[in-house]
Amino acid sequence: MSTTTAAPARDRVGTSAPRRRRPQTNRSLFRLLALVPFLLFGLVFAVYPLLQVARMAGSDVQIRSGRFEWEWTGLTNLRDVLADAASIQALTNTVVFVAATVIGTLVVGFVLALLVDRAVTLLPLARNVLIWPAVIAPVVVSLMWLLILSPTAGGLNKLLRTIGLSEQGWLGDGPTAMAAVMVVDIWHWTPVVFLFLYTALKGIDASVLEAARVDGAREFQVVRHIVIPSMSAAIGAVILVRIIMGVKAFDEMYLMTRGGPDGATTLVSQHIKTLFFDNLDLGEAAAFSLFTVAVTALVLALVLLVRKAVQR
Amino acid sequence: MTTTRPRNVWVEIALAVILVVTLIPVAWTLVLAFLPNRAIVSPDWQLDFWIGNFTTLFDDNAFITQVANSVQIVAGAVLLCIGIGAVTGYALSRLHPPRWITIPSLVIAGFIPLIPPMTLIPGLYVLLSQLGLLGSITGLILVNAFLNLPFAALMLSSYFSGVPEELREAGLMDGATELRTFVSIMLPVVRPGLAATAIFVGILAWNEFMMGLTLTTGGSTSPVTVGIAELLQPYAVTWGELAAAGTIAAIPLILMAAVANRHIVAGLTAGAVKN
Repeated sequence: MSTTTAAPARDRVGTSAPRRRRPQTNRSLFRLLALVPFLLFGLVFAVYPLLQVARMAGSDVQIRSGRFEWEWTGLTNLRDVLADAASIQALTNTVVFVAATVIGTLVVGFVLALLVDRAVTLLPLARNVLIWPAVIAPVVVSLMWLLILSPTAGGLNKLLRTIGLSEQGWLGDGPTAMAAVMVVDIWHWTPVVFLFLYTALKGIDASVLEAARVDGAREFQVVRHIVIPSMSAAIGAVILVRIIMGVKAFDEMYLMTRGGPDGATTLVSQHIKTLFFDNLDLGEAAAFSLFTVAVTALVLALVLLVRKAVQR
Repeated sequence: MTTTRPRNVWVEIALAVILVVTLIPVAWTLVLAFLPNRAIVSPDWQLDFWIGNFTTLFDDNAFITQVANSVQIVAGAVLLCIGIGAVTGYALSRLHPPRWITIPSLVIAGFIPLIPPMTLIPGLYVLLSQLGLLGSITGLILVNAFLNLPFAALMLSSYFSGVPEELREAGLMDGATELRTFVSIMLPVVRPGLAATAIFVGILAWNEFMMGLTLTTGGSTSPVTVGIAELLQPYAVTWGELAAAGTIAAIPLILMAAVANRHIVAGLTAGAVKN
């Protein structure tokens, strides 16, 4: 590639100043200004809203004819919202949901990576089709699964009826609703885990695996003692990413169960939405938001510390 | 890759099962999109082809407006993310700006992807209402751009880092300004990176639901994802229309995934690692 011609020489011929000087001074201005748009965006859309959340968390806020009225109340909101059984349920649900779906996607994604790595005939098809769920909108994914799980129109109950089994109200009972939502999440996000792990798997030196097999190691032993250890960094990264995704989960529950039945599938985001928009407890919603951010930050800091300690 | 292992029938069968499980929800939605509601809720299997779901959907002006809204949101968010993301990514990877401006940028870029967006909504609600942008497409464009900017900047910064430093020095030595070197040399070189980032931001903005739901009043002011959710009324759900709407929202992305598979894979992995 000849790219030197792409930039026309613009300096005036004959200036005796060393050529280097000019770019140096120009550079400083662009250098200083280059990050300004991003910082501005961050200040306006992250820092300012967070400050407002903090202010709201400590206030009694009413919306009267489209205007906010604030009255400082200190920690009352935080105390109230954390004393609420619904908040505790949302927090425990989130922990259960995150743990189950992180493990679920990790196991399925790992098995999938091993399978695709060994596949021959289905390899091209698999590499194309397997990422579909990850690109489809969460809203559409929820809709697709509603068309399967709905008690009235769902295909699953129709199938059960046809083969003579009893129908289930999949999303109507607490435990099956949570399980269903988890299955949907695992279906949706396994592709991401698979891609991570498949890439890592491809990065393992093939001759090491070959040597182990020649030495008579069984396939299971190869996976247990060579593949998993050499993928540990990728697995750690996947777990971290999936935890973050799990805490953010909202769309699927909102569409499939509205957090019900009886709050059985209400996660933190759904809880904030209910407090803010449905109950109009703006202060409590903000206090719970702040609490969620603090806990997430704490957990992630701990995970990173542990990872560092393990790597040492 | 290096060795051609013998075909293992069990591997192929297991993979086939997983592929079928992956495809069933998509295929089932596609089938229902072409069935009348009566056939969908009937207790036995009726399969009579019908395109009425699509025609009623397109007779509904709100749905068309919502698709147009989503297209505007995607276009706006992609432009902002590519424009600001490229400058930011370039600065982070090559310009070594002073610390007092780099550190806050990195903190913001690292922090935003970590927290659930819902926790920011009370604050964003106040902000947009103060700016008079509540319920407007402009507001949603800005919010979507903001949500994806850290990812776009970090992804592009890794593309810029892959360009040999000599290229940039050559431009500077020839007397081009830093800005000009960036525009005429660096940007064209990372064009594949720009495309990958654009595709990825586009997908995420098209799929976004939470902000569209909470920061608009619904109906013709909302993006198509919210429109689909609105079709899900607690009573009298028109399942066929819902399936048709879902198909329309999913097809462009599946086609894109087929065409730009490598770019999307790059985005999924690169973006996620950087998170």
